[in-house]
Amino acid sequence: MFFLTYLRRELRNRMRQAVFIALGLAIGVGLVVTVMGASAGVRNAQGKVLASLYGIGTDLTVTMKPAPPTGGGGTRIMVTPSGGQDCVNGTCSEIGPGSVIDQLSSFNNGPIDEDDVSEIARLRDVTNAVGGLQLTDNRITIPGANATTMPQPTSTSVDGTDVAHAGYGPLASARLTEGRSFTGTDADRNGALVDANYAIAHGLTLNSTITLAHTKFTVIGILSQDEAASPPDVYIPLARAQALATNPATGASLKNQVTTIYVTAASDSDIPLIQQEIQRVVPKATVSSSANLASQVTGSLASAAKLANDLGKWLAILVLIAAFALASLLTSAAVSRRVREFGTLKALGWSGGRIVGQVLGESVTTGIIGGLAGIGFGFAGVAIIRAVAHPLTASIPVASTGPQTQTAGPGQQFSSLQSPAHATVSVPMSASVTVTAIVLAVLLAIAGGLLAGSLGGWRAARLRPATALQKIG
Amino acid sequence: MKDVDNIAYRLSGVSKIYRKGNRVIPAVRGLDLDIREGEWLAVQGKTGHGKTTLLQLLGGLDAPTEGSVTFDGKDPAAREVRARSFGFVFQTFNLIPTLSARENVEAALIPLKMIASERRRRVAQALESVDLGDRAQHLPAELSGGQQQRVAIARALVKDPRVLLADEPTGNLDEDTRDEIVNLLESLWREHGITLILVSHDSTVVRRAQRIGVMSKGRLTIRQPYPPASRAFTSDTDTVRKW
Repeated sequence: MFFLTYLRRELRNRMRQAVFIALGLAIGVGLVVTVMGASAGVRNAQGKVLASLYGIGTDLTVTMKPAPPTGGGGTRIMVTPSGGQDCVNGTCSEIGPGSVIDQLSSFNNGPIDEDDVSEIARLRDVTNAVGGLQLTDNRITIPGANATTMPQPTSTSVDGTDVAHAGYGPLASARLTEGRSFTGTDADRNGALVDANYAIAHGLTLNSTITLAHTKFTVIGILSQDEAASPPDVYIPLARAQALATNPATGASLKNQVTTIYVTAASDSDIPLIQQEIQRVVPKATVSSSANLASQVTGSLASAAKLANDLGKWLAILVLIAAFALASLLTSAAVSRRVREFGTLKALGWSGGRIVGQVLGESVTTGIIGGLAGIGFGFAGVAIIRAVAHPLTASIPVASTGPQTQTAGPGQQFSSLQSPAHATVSVPMSASVTVTAIVLAVLLAIAGGLLAGSLGGWRAARLRPATALQKIG
Repeated sequence: MKDVDNIAYRLSGVSKIYRKGNRVIPAVRGLDLDIREGEWLAVQGKTGHGKTTLLQLLGGLDAPTEGSVTFDGKDPAAREVRARSFGFVFQTFNLIPTLSARENVEAALIPLKMIASERRRRVAQALESVDLGDRAQHLPAELSGGQQQRVAIARALVKDPRVLLADEPTGNLDEDTRDEIVNLLESLWREHGITLILVSHDSTVVRRAQRIGVMSKGRLTIRQPYPPASRAFTSDTDTVRKW
């Protein structure tokens, strides 16, 4: 085909210039692919953290800030050299040495009435709303009179899961490795699903028991979970959790209460409206979308996200603009050198469109070569990021670990109310070249070629043959 | 014997004026001319007196400022007319440097939307007719000046045009090559019955034509009347192969 022969010969003749243009485009496209790969990696990391925290498929979460204890209210435990005191709403009882205190409480979030879950589920554009209890089980043994060191409480994070909707909340992100998951019949049974690492650390196996709030639960399944976001150690049925847990601010039971509502919207565009509707149902609640949750993540993960989204994006755009401008100028210069050639072709009867097509063909081919090289550069860039990037750290809001002993002097005390805690977790940087990035790279390269070629082609097309033939090439 | 009764070109009151800033440069002034089908018209004149402009007007590469140029009653600038009816030969050959001799000749057939096999056949014949069949794969830079001009002539003739417009076709050639090219053009003119319009400042070349016009300051004067049809031609036609 004459078009291709002419194109090939011309590009071969201008090899150095073609390589220069292709290289410019390749760098621009490669940078775009790399930035997109890094962004995808950061997004994946964020997604992992958020999914672990709030579960897959959750568009909105509803939580309530914990109310501060009023006066001498709430649960308070005093540890003294001769034993301890357990105070609930100002009424204290002595605890003898060797006694075990085991409380299952919600420290980080305040309670929400379970009826609100049903009301939210009925809202228009809400696909589903499921309640859960995020709790911490704190266990401490009161020391004897001669104890020289203060005991440390052991804390276990516990998630009260709606067994009829186990596909929502943190359990949705977990993978069952042994045993079975919850079924509808487990709602009122003392069955527990245990994180694999926690099971190893505490010597738990299938059918062994774990004690929470002085109640024995049988391990029915072992879970593998992404540790990036500090997932719960133990999952128990929501109804059992509600029956055993107390509100640390009031000491009251959390029966018919939840601490988190996981909401799924019919579509992303409905989320802002649903947010407002939920706020109307539960005025004091905090309603967070995935975007809100992502903004709560701090640390190098957030910095990397900002770097990739802001600096990386603009750098890639600037380099692309420079590459496009360079390609356009060089193509235009090449057309200037070929004026007499195009004049001759016009004299031979070639149409302006055919000449423009020839110039465009040459520049688009250069663009595609640049695009392919750019994809290669992109893969290389992503590989370099993977090789040299340190794991990202993400600081995320998590449930409080509950009471801690104080270390100063006798008459130590600990309060069951703690300020909201943050956990810093390490997330691997899993940058990868996506299909979208490759498609975009090819489109950008073609666009670059078209842009460069159209300027040169336009100049070639509007040449008057007589004028063009007078030019000394 | 050539049919010389049909008018191919009719130029009526043709003027071409170029403007450069405030300067007005009249290249062709008030030209009235008929050119007959199959005629060989040579236009002589000094550089800058409008020869090339006249040729460009005839080839439809430029439009007159005043008056009209018609070819068979049509506008010669129409791309279809230019693509099918005119063949151009330039002083500087104007071959595309990146294409081989064969591809340069083929370029003239591209606008005619001919099938590839027919294109190849005609290109091979055209190159054979100018004795360059064995140079088909050579790039212009690998050919001598005379060979390059022969490729340009093959390119002009490959589409079997009705008019061959030659602008100083021997201007860049030595004497021997000049004679060779002029002989070739004359032979092709005789063989194909095409209208040959040749512009040159060289009297040796011009005097071989049927009719001679002299351009001076944009005005054309016909010096040699149209010769009798019985006029004999003496050039060697052996270099022209059967088309």
